[in-house]
Amino acid sequence: MTNNTQTQSKPSASQRWQKLAAIGSNQSTILVAVLVILVVVFTILEPKFLSAQTASNVLTDWGSVVLIAVGMTYVIISGGIDLSVGASIALSGVVAAWFMVNVLGLSPKATGGEVVYGLVLGTIVAILTGLAVGLVNGFLITKAKIPPFIATLATMGAGLGFAVIISSGMPIGGPNDFTVISAMNPSTNPLSWAVLAVIVVIVIAGLFLHKAKFGIYTYAIGSNTFAARGAGINVERHLVAIYALSGALAGLTGMYVYMRLGAGSPSSGTGRELDAIAAVVIGGASLMGGIGRVWGTVLGTLILFTVQSGLIMAGVAPDWKKVVVAILIAVAVAAQTFNKKGR
Amino acid sequence: MAIGDVLYEAKNISKKYGSVVALDGASFKLHAGEVIGLVGDNGAGKSTLVKILSGAYTPDSGSLFLDGEQRVWTSPREVLDAGVETLYQDSGLAPHLSVSQNVFLGREKVVKGFFGKLGFVAKKQMEHEAHRDLEEVGIAVPASDRSVSQLSGGQRQAVAIGRAVAWARKVIILDEPTNHLGARQASEVLQIVKNAKKKGLGVIFISHTLPHVLEVTDRIIVLRLGKIVKIAPTSEFTGDTLVGTITGTIQTLKLEGD
Repeated sequence: MTNNTQTQSKPSASQRWQKLAAIGSNQSTILVAVLVILVVVFTILEPKFLSAQTASNVLTDWGSVVLIAVGMTYVIISGGIDLSVGASIALSGVVAAWFMVNVLGLSPKATGGEVVYGLVLGTIVAILTGLAVGLVNGFLITKAKIPPFIATLATMGAGLGFAVIISSGMPIGGPNDFTVISAMNPSTNPLSWAVLAVIVVIVIAGLFLHKAKFGIYTYAIGSNTFAARGAGINVERHLVAIYALSGALAGLTGMYVYMRLGAGSPSSGTGRELDAIAAVVIGGASLMGGIGRVWGTVLGTLILFTVQSGLIMAGVAPDWKKVVVAILIAVAVAAQTFNKKGR
Repeated sequence: MAIGDVLYEAKNISKKYGSVVALDGASFKLHAGEVIGLVGDNGAGKSTLVKILSGAYTPDSGSLFLDGEQRVWTSPREVLDAGVETLYQDSGLAPHLSVSQNVFLGREKVVKGFFGKLGFVAKKQMEHEAHRDLEEVGIAVPASDRSVSQLSGGQRQAVAIGRAVAWARKVIILDEPTNHLGARQASEVLQIVKNAKKKGLGVIFISHTLPHVLEVTDRIIVLRLGKIVKIAPTSEFTGDTLVGTITGTIQTLKLEGD
């Protein structure tokens, strides 16, 4: 249709309503609206909420979950689940800290070039640790044919166990550079270099999910495994790659969390897998597989931590966060079911 | 390949699941430009045979020949690459993907250069070509970018068949292609089968709807309890004798298929 015909035929009232309804049923529009409403409500409750400092807190928290949530998006779209990512965060943070301290011989007091060198190698070690957990998951799921829920529950337990064994249950302090993880300017610019790096990784992951074969196969497997196999897709190999990706992103997150603490702690990932699943579901993905968007997950995670920061600033007891998140999940899932019936 | 050449041949194919014999020494030949009907009651071994022919299962014994060359399939991918397409009963498409993503599933067109090597797909080109290919096959195509879950049952089936016909270079295996279709849509499907035959493809047509089998096939293979009990030209059957042969009320002498 050309511009000309568009201007000539004025949309009727019902068409306009249909358009509005279409926008209203668009998941990301709803999520942005929810986010705006939350910000407005919290700002009314506590005017200081609307500040670069709050934004920095929210973004820094967001960075410690959004990558595993993006990995979880791939996993959930493929029809699976990965409960091991919280444990992988702890394990990779501990292993990276142990490596920097014991192998590279860097103390928490190290400065300058040594720190950069240590953190770069530490990041690689953390990613490889997470990747290893992911590969074990992939092996258990595709070769041992263990359902993803059970397989990743097992690696979650084992991962936490190893993290405690390696660290003797105590955080391992190592070299760090807090400027990487701190807001560039606390009063005007809430972004940090670490958050920027996280955003770059998300964009790449999003492009591969929505624009490349890797993503199409992920949707195909979650949508209809039989059809995917019939179309010649190597389903097992692809699933291993998806769990490996989820693990590697958890490893990277392990390093992010290490940098926030300046230490690798065996308890640093506790419950993060549930935050990630919540974010993915709020973001519109279906646990049945085949449905989900990286953008939805990004917004879902942002909503999660906006609620958390907002409630704290408004003086609400932190336990209420769990209740509010539970309501958000219920509403998100109910909205999905409603949308399906509407079709 | 010329009309009448043997395209795909099965020799003594057997398959057991535990102690259950699903297929017992099945042999037949499919010629270029021929439509073979494969009929039998539930549990007769039709699905097992289809899955062996399409590379989803490996037979316990027996051999397969494509264009006279013996082939041992190790994956569905190899069979597709060899020019044999299969439409599986009811479950050939991924409902959450678009029409064009389904048509090109497993064979995506990628963009040129570095990003193509990373697997980035040429979406517009695939949508355009999917539309064109389906139209060529003779299918009233819904928009290429629509999600398959938004299509009616008939439209889905049309897309699935269109995909098989568009990609097939030698053989098409259609498992219950007219299931759940209205009369008009079913006759469209039968027309597509006839067109494929004219192009010189070999078609294996599996169906419980015997009038469709009688209308569109050249020969019929009757399976009963894992065994081929009769192979004969379609003209030798009437609706009644075909039912009798399937159920076993008509005694059969196994004919060697040529």
